[in-house]
Amino acid sequence: MRIPAAFRRSKGLIGAILVLSVFLVALLAPVFIPEDWATQMDMRARLSPPTWAHPLGTDQLGRDLMYRVLLGAQTSIYIASAAVLMSIVIGLPLGLISGYVGRTTDNVLMRLVDTLLSFPALLLALTISAVLGPNLQNTIIAIGIAFTPFLARIIRGEALRVAQMPYVEGARTAGNSDFRIIVHHILPNIMPAVIVQSTISLAFAILAEAGLSFLGLGTQPPDASWGLMIQASRDYLDRAPWTALVPGVAVAVTVLGLNMFGDALRDALDPRAKGGS
Amino acid sequence: MPDGNTPLVSVEGLRVEFASDGGTIVGVENVSFSVAPGETVCIVGESGSGKSVTSLSLMRLVEFGGGTIAEGRLRFAGQGGEIDLAQADPETMRGIRGNEIGMIFQEPMTSLNPVFTIERQMTDGLRAHRGLSGAQARQRALELLQEVRIPEPERRLKQYPHELSGGMRQRVVIAMAMACRPRLLIADEPTTALDVTIQAEILALIDRLKRENGMAVLFITHDMAVVAQMADRVVVMYRGNLVEEGPVGRIFAAPQEEYTRALLAAVPRLGDMRGKPGPEPLRLVGADAPDSVQAAVPPGDPEPLLQVLHLTTRYPVKGGLFRRTVANVHAVEDVSFDIAKGETLALVGESGCGKSSCGRSILRLAEPTSGQVLLDRTDVLALNERDLRRKVWRDIQMVFQDPFASLNPYMRLAAQVAEPLSNFGIAKGSEIEDRIAALFDRVELPRSFMRRFPHELSGGQRQRVAIARALAVSPKLIVADEAVSALDVSVQAQVLNLMMELQSTLGISYLFISHDMAVVERVSHRVGVMYLGRLVEIGSRAQIFENPRHPYTHSLLSAVPIADPARRTVRDDLKFRPIPSPVFPVGHEPAPSVYDEVEPGHLVLRQQAS
Amino acid sequence: MSYLVNRLLSMMLTLFLISVITFTVTNILPGDVAMMIMGTQSNPEALAGLRQSLGLNDPLIVQYGRWIGGMLTGDWGNSLVFKEPIAPLLLQKMKASALIVLFSMSIALVCAVPLGVWAAVHANRWQDTAASSASLVGVSLPDFFWGIMLILLFARGLGWLPSSGFIDPADDIWGAMRHALLPSLALGLGLMAHLTRMTRATMTGILNQEFIRVARAKGLDEGTVVWRYGLANAVGPVMTVAGLQVGYLFGSIIVIESLFNFTGMGWLTYQALLNRDIPLIQASVFVIAAVVMLANLIVDLLYVAVDPRIRLS
Repeated sequence: MRIPAAFRRSKGLIGAILVLSVFLVALLAPVFIPEDWATQMDMRARLSPPTWAHPLGTDQLGRDLMYRVLLGAQTSIYIASAAVLMSIVIGLPLGLISGYVGRTTDNVLMRLVDTLLSFPALLLALTISAVLGPNLQNTIIAIGIAFTPFLARIIRGEALRVAQMPYVEGARTAGNSDFRIIVHHILPNIMPAVIVQSTISLAFAILAEAGLSFLGLGTQPPDASWGLMIQASRDYLDRAPWTALVPGVAVAVTVLGLNMFGDALRDALDPRAKGGS
Repeated sequence: MPDGNTPLVSVEGLRVEFASDGGTIVGVENVSFSVAPGETVCIVGESGSGKSVTSLSLMRLVEFGGGTIAEGRLRFAGQGGEIDLAQADPETMRGIRGNEIGMIFQEPMTSLNPVFTIERQMTDGLRAHRGLSGAQARQRALELLQEVRIPEPERRLKQYPHELSGGMRQRVVIAMAMACRPRLLIADEPTTALDVTIQAEILALIDRLKRENGMAVLFITHDMAVVAQMADRVVVMYRGNLVEEGPVGRIFAAPQEEYTRALLAAVPRLGDMRGKPGPEPLRLVGADAPDSVQAAVPPGDPEPLLQVLHLTTRYPVKGGLFRRTVANVHAVEDVSFDIAKGETLALVGESGCGKSSCGRSILRLAEPTSGQVLLDRTDVLALNERDLRRKVWRDIQMVFQDPFASLNPYMRLAAQVAEPLSNFGIAKGSEIEDRIAALFDRVELPRSFMRRFPHELSGGQRQRVAIARALAVSPKLIVADEAVSALDVSVQAQVLNLMMELQSTLGISYLFISHDMAVVERVSHRVGVMYLGRLVEIGSRAQIFENPRHPYTHSLLSAVPIADPARRTVRDDLKFRPIPSPVFPVGHEPAPSVYDEVEPGHLVLRQQAS
Repeated sequence: MSYLVNRLLSMMLTLFLISVITFTVTNILPGDVAMMIMGTQSNPEALAGLRQSLGLNDPLIVQYGRWIGGMLTGDWGNSLVFKEPIAPLLLQKMKASALIVLFSMSIALVCAVPLGVWAAVHANRWQDTAASSASLVGVSLPDFFWGIMLILLFARGLGWLPSSGFIDPADDIWGAMRHALLPSLALGLGLMAHLTRMTRATMTGILNQEFIRVARAKGLDEGTVVWRYGLANAVGPVMTVAGLQVGYLFGSIIVIESLFNFTGMGWLTYQALLNRDIPLIQASVFVIAAVVMLANLIVDLLYVAVDPRIRLS
């Protein structure tokens, strides 16, 4: 049985809808939900299962999980986006220069990147966060630095591939400066790879933020974060498993959406899939 | 057993469909032809003609590529009586594949499993079909390797594919297909990826095996010259349909269909230019008869436009911890020639001979190791990056081989042609737009294409844009590196004609780099033959083609298939010519090139004792 | 042979760089060892004295020299939290982690390779859609979420397995396995999903290659074509991806071992980070990076064994 094309393509659509919804929640929840709804403790309904009053139940302090998870989206998305942006801002020039200039510059930069890649990203992020002192801003820096070597490596590979294309040589003989070649001929051609990689990195960054916060070395209370919520649920797993399930599902849905969207983007932008006769 | 009159295979009303995201695509439809025992039938066509789909259908391999045989019968007179392959179950097909029908493919480099030894790949078919033991299969594999004349067969069995050259791999693939003495051999473009001398060897081998075994051959190719050399009968295909079928002599002498005539007219035939003074456009069907008188004869200017003196280009092979140079590839070794104004010099040779590196070195796209390149008496190699841009690339431009990679996919065509105009300060403001329009007119592209992106164009159209971009600076010389090699033959002819026409009207010179001797004979005034980085012979077109002196030029010319069934050159199997490596240790300095002038302007490399 | 020598030399250089990075990063810490030992409320003069005697006033490069000298001679210093020599402590914890890392890697490979091949063979059909969707969900769930689910199901719900603690296999092999199973599964499920996706992608590419068509044209049955001709070519790339995932695993164990109270390398590193135990942070980060690098070296060497093309170059 062949799966219809429309269904296969819907992967990207579902992914896009999921990602868009989570981003909208992250953006709009703080506007429409007063903060005290999420911090208000309902002492009579601690660890309450889902009810009409609390559709997703409450935590150990009687706080409404639905509001908390909606407001937590903001923190997770903000940290992940900022961290990925940071790794692009550092990794893109590094990778471009390494790939286009080559020679000694490339050797030195890539040796450094390879060394950084020997450190597990999560370990690197945890260490940096512990060193700088865990808070929201340092979590961004920690994840951003930890992800930079991956991005630099991928961009360098793409830049190297594109720099050898005949159209880049054609651009040289057409009298373009190196700067113009990088900006007009190399950058547009590596953008698909950068976009795909950013989407996937965003998914990993959400996971990393959750991991860091879960270990207490990421977002700190009173900021609401999904990782933090899961951490808090650990002691009440027997009595109130929904306290872990609610934020866990939130993370999963977001990351799944990003991965689906990323997969579909990669299929659509795959150089093998276009051009050629 | 069928007698000589019953066909071995008869294809009747074949229709193959492919499911795709946009609905059903018809691969081929209403195709009927037959192959008699011991006969060679060539299916010829350009890309997208459905010739490969037809051959894959016979093996029922088309299904693995997402195709289905929707209609038609594929009658095959096998050992167990006649069966319809289109209806055969998978079990029956497995018994036929590799046993009664053998198949070889285009790419010898990827046809063999890289992680298995030759022995393992040669014997597993024998064990599956014939139930041979390991030792018996090995013995049979040895015999087969001897039959396809591979030297040192014992050693080859232990080797992995990457240890063999392309020609040798194709022999192994043929030996594999011959393992069970098939009654039909399907060869899908078996020589397209090979150099011309290797092609001649493989064609001779297939021809010999066919005669010795009384086997029928279904030969798929895009190359009319190969058809002329190999076929008993020809099937011409175009866009999934059968155009014409007939004996090879009739197809070439008296083609019935318009398409066949056009196809044949576009094919340059080696020897056609004998006795003609200069390059001459091809007379294409449907186009205006080109004016052969107009073709430019190089003016007798004593001062050459470009002088290349002792050019040497070596690429370092890096290795080790700090990526030091551990060896050098001697791509271009002591090469000298010059090009006059309005002249076409062709550099010919097989892959890896250094012809492309030579062209790239002149533009400094590859950095030469030593020598001089004098452009109007300025040494190109001594210039810094800024002067290189200002002086050299203002006068020399390049057209690349792959039309799909030579234009930036994310930039509109007008912007790409505009770049040299603004960068070199040739035009400003609204003037640029007019210039671009004029250039598009010049290369016979509609002006509406200016706003388009490269992916909206066909290969031939893209190559025209690449030429327009090169023309933008009004260059004195264009280096055309295999500029028409990736194009279908009819498109190739149009682009060649355009290039010749541009030369006659604009007086530009070409350094025409190509592996195709017939094309070179058509377009060039002078020809240089390269082998292993050296220029082994150079002279006028007539001198090289009619009076070749260097043994390599001889072997190259005699290997070229001629698009004329009356002049068959496929001989008995040729001997192996080992290809020496151009990689030398650091510090190795080969002897300089010394030439003998055998007639005025005709230089031949003096053979060195080695 | 020269390949091996080159790889070993390159490894030494990388190890050196790893040590420099580790040392530099941990020295940006605002607090220092002296303050950790004496507490923040301590007498400033005593603190200065201790700094002097620990050599903390020396230039960084001298401190680095002393540290790397100690690392090379086996004197890794004492942990400030655990008050014992670091080297034997690390070795013991590393053994515990090796158990779950190897266990989870085995689970992942054994399941992912057949699943990925199966999906590739049925590319774009329901089998592929099912396997690909499942693995996409798999890579989207955080490891600790897997861990919590497993605890809820197997420990709290069914009561089959313990949810916390570590037992040395030398003492009680059965108990050790029971304690290692859930953390290994928590690590292995995400890994399995990832490897399934990689195997599928690799195999899809291989099955489109010409030599596969040639194998079919020889009349070999599909089983041989896919599982011998195809898979033999996928082993190298899949192994490389698996090797790269060792790094990912050593990040994940920090979370998973903490969740399961499994006292291994990840748990130890976490304690060191929480308590700013600088000597222990330095040693464990360095050791983890070195182990990850070593794992990739081994994979590269194994690649040479499965792919004859590498031998010559």
